[in-house]
Amino acid sequence: MTRPRPRGPSRKPAGSSRAVGASAIAALTIALAGCGIQIPADPDGSLERITGGELRVGASPSGDLVVVDGDEAEGPLAEVIEGFAAERGATVVWTIDSEEDLVDDLVRGRLDLAIGGMTASTPWTTQVSATRGYPGLPGSKGADVTVLLPLGENALQAALETYLDEEVAR
Amino acid sequence: MGRTDLPPGQQEALRKAVRWEWFTIGYTCVTIALIALVVSGSQAMKTAWIEDMLSLIPQISFLLALLVIRHPPTRKFPYGLHRAMAAGHLVAGVALLIVGGNLAVEAVLGLVRAEHPAIGTVQVFGQTVWLGWFMVGVMALVTIGPFIYGPAKAKLAPVLHNKVLYTDADMAKADWTTTVASIVGVLGIGIGWWWLDSAAALFISVGIVWDGYRNSRSAVLDLIDQRARTYDDQERHPLHGRIIAALDAQPWVEASAVRIRDMGQVFHIEAFVVPRHGKVSLDHLEAARRALAEMDWKMQDVVVVPVAELPDEASRGDRGEAKVQPAPSARPRRGM
Repeated sequence: MTRPRPRGPSRKPAGSSRAVGASAIAALTIALAGCGIQIPADPDGSLERITGGELRVGASPSGDLVVVDGDEAEGPLAEVIEGFAAERGATVVWTIDSEEDLVDDLVRGRLDLAIGGMTASTPWTTQVSATRGYPGLPGSKGADVTVLLPLGENALQAALETYLDEEVAR
Repeated sequence: MGRTDLPPGQQEALRKAVRWEWFTIGYTCVTIALIALVVSGSQAMKTAWIEDMLSLIPQISFLLALLVIRHPPTRKFPYGLHRAMAAGHLVAGVALLIVGGNLAVEAVLGLVRAEHPAIGTVQVFGQTVWLGWFMVGVMALVTIGPFIYGPAKAKLAPVLHNKVLYTDADMAKADWTTTVASIVGVLGIGIGWWWLDSAAALFISVGIVWDGYRNSRSAVLDLIDQRARTYDDQERHPLHGRIIAALDAQPWVEASAVRIRDMGQVFHIEAFVVPRHGKVSLDHLEAARRALAEMDWKMQDVVVVPVAELPDEASRGDRGEAKVQPAPSARPRRGM
């Protein structure tokens, strides 16, 4: 067996490693800010694509919250999503399907968002991301309603959650 | 024999070590609670969190072992209960190894499956803020602790010749890399480099596995009675040479050799001597035993055995060995 490399005494003193660590983080943060990179960002660029473009939203009917009328979704939650799209200059393209199919579409990148009767305790969070629960949304009747979106599209999620926070506060 | 009391310098060091261990446990519990508030989709963050929980094991096993080893030897446990420290060491090592391996596999799977970590926002005073910023803040705060208690324990470990305390201190010294890695992982998610998170998690878990390997290996080697080494396992313990030199200086001794095993903090010593002309008195043997026992606080449990021929596996020492004094533990009686 190989002898472990000498550690302890031969190491640099703790103070200098802390300085290195701290300055590395500081340098990284400044570099990121300097490049004008938006944090959080989307690995797949969802928010950028949506802005001024199409917002592909899946909907499954859920009581009064999401009401399906032909190929379109209506109801308070659908209206909130329409509002979010309008804020970004986007038009909503609706897909009506079951919850499981909507999740599958999100995973495959065919949808940007999915709404329905999902709450913050949704079991789908291993495959898709869920926003915080919003019990204060119109029509939610106190249930902490959540919107599903693809995993890791964090700029889209941050923008949506910011919009939902404003909607609830209104 | 098998004594359990310590000289004043070691008692003081032990009191300090116990205080630092309790401080570390308290501090770690606070950081675990703090991270629990912000832990979210980041694998690196989760790994660092679990690493924090694991880092409690050495402190807990140190404190538990201390309760056990203070019992004096009995007929049932004729060597005392010092090995409890090594048992605790082994438990800590194996736990690190298993959990670290598990986390490493998870990180690799995350990379292979191209899992995109999701971190949402929180609402603070009416402002919607990305949770990642809080993660970075908490982890930056958490970095500070090990820089306080790590070096403090590293100073005490050689005084007590305690390997659990030493590895605990050594792990604390490496702790800032874990924290910085988790910050890098979260910032990686922030700029859209999803893979940086799993990579950081992998880096952290490899560190845990390495700690586990070192601890388990060192504990197992002591439990299967490898010859005593210094507190950091780097060198053959200098007492080998000093014992041989002391015995060889006796006029009635023709040749001597020694076997030392590390019982955890204290040593068990068998010194073999070939008497000149094949004759030795009981007084000589008893005087030699007492002289060895007084040489260092770590070796109260000494037997001196007259033999016709030295056993091959016992250390003969050498002149160089006698001079090496790398550990402060070699001269414990000067006030610390």
